[in-house]
Amino acid sequence: MDFANSPSFFRHGPRPGARAALCAFLSLALLIGDSRFGLMERTREGLSVVLYPLQWAVNLPVSAARHASDFFTTQTTLKLENDALRTRELAMASQLARLRTLEREHAELRSLNALRDRMPGAGQMAEVLYTGRDPFSYKLIIDKGQDATVRAGQPVVDGDGLLGQVTRTQPLTAEVTLITDKSLMVPVMIERTGVRAILYGYGGGVDLRFLPAHADVNTGDILVTSGIDGVYPAGLRVARVVHVERNTGSAFARLTVLPLAGVQKSRFVLVMQTRSDMPARPAASAPAAEAAGRGHRRK
Amino acid sequence: MALDRPHELLKPVKRRFIALTFFLGLLVELIPLPAGSTRWLPDLIGLVLLYWVINQPRRVGVGTAFFVGLIADVATAGLFGQHALAYSLTAYFALKRQRQLVMFTLGQQALAVGGLLFANQLIMMLARLLTGSAFIGFSYFLPPVIGILLWPLLTKLLLLPYRQHTA
Repeated sequence: MDFANSPSFFRHGPRPGARAALCAFLSLALLIGDSRFGLMERTREGLSVVLYPLQWAVNLPVSAARHASDFFTTQTTLKLENDALRTRELAMASQLARLRTLEREHAELRSLNALRDRMPGAGQMAEVLYTGRDPFSYKLIIDKGQDATVRAGQPVVDGDGLLGQVTRTQPLTAEVTLITDKSLMVPVMIERTGVRAILYGYGGGVDLRFLPAHADVNTGDILVTSGIDGVYPAGLRVARVVHVERNTGSAFARLTVLPLAGVQKSRFVLVMQTRSDMPARPAASAPAAEAAGRGHRRK
Repeated sequence: MALDRPHELLKPVKRRFIALTFFLGLLVELIPLPAGSTRWLPDLIGLVLLYWVINQPRRVGVGTAFFVGLIADVATAGLFGQHALAYSLTAYFALKRQRQLVMFTLGQQALAVGGLLFANQLIMMLARLLTGSAFIGFSYFLPPVIGILLWPLLTKLLLLPYRQHTA
């Protein structure tokens, strides 16, 4: 007598083959519905609320251990960190004073030229709960969600640079897609020269494609957001060029680019407030006239 | 009959225990882990599912596999339906050969289960590639290997509460 082979005298329900076909069909429908039409957003939101207490419970020992290890840091580490922070603060203070005057000047110039102010507002601190389990996408889950008025589209930064963008909000958490994800592109410019380009994530890294072979790029150049998309405010540091390869056979330079932010390391992140100051959508009835008018005003 | 199986009558398996093992698998799936580790960690829910399909085919079948897959989809925040598709197909394959599989020794069973886990990963990868993801490298097929190594341990562990004489 074995554990498993109890005799089956009666069959219940459809045969396994039919069941498998039905289940495969259903899951294919779900796959297509989710990837093509985003039908599952609501369901996922609901289910994530149900799973949240579970996640919280599983997280509890981990975060407790983290807090405990934070508590038992030695005096010397604290002292060292304190010293480093103090020197940095001094350096920052002088820079900040300069920045204030520059900012005022900038605002005056902008108002003289009737340009809109594009400076970003304050941000919101958030803690990274965990990284997504799905190896195909590069995502973080943070502990601020709809309850803290986090909206999809807000840029997320850490101390070193741009991390990514909020792509999905749940009632208590939000999902941040990192710049290394395949579906994220960031409009950037080279800080030194102002040459604009687009930074593509390719799953695990970033890539600067389609920069002409004669473009003025050097190893060590910093890429910052150019701010021409209305999503990322201008001037956020994004990545550093670590290698430039110019091939005479190709029209484009091959660049190796590394993200600056601790894309998989940072524990605390800043969700930036973006002021949406895009002009309102033109009315559908007269789009051509509107566009012409706007073009004229800009001249 | 397998030689290294206990030649003893086992207590009947409770439905509650099956649910509990799935729940524990889900909890393990939800543990926050450092970034690189998801590349080699075995799919515990899939392993538990295959165990029950092989050992309790009248309780856990294709339908259960589908629902467990849906829960795994939400837990891993992947594409909705990828785990469900993979699990229901591999559960079907396991059911087809269930009578053979239970007669195998643990080593042979581990190899068969390894094949099924491999099929799981393959189906999920195909689903992702067809919906526009990039290929993420052959390290995606490492978890089944770890799963093979874990199989004998898992079998012994799940059998433990149903021994008559646990002395």
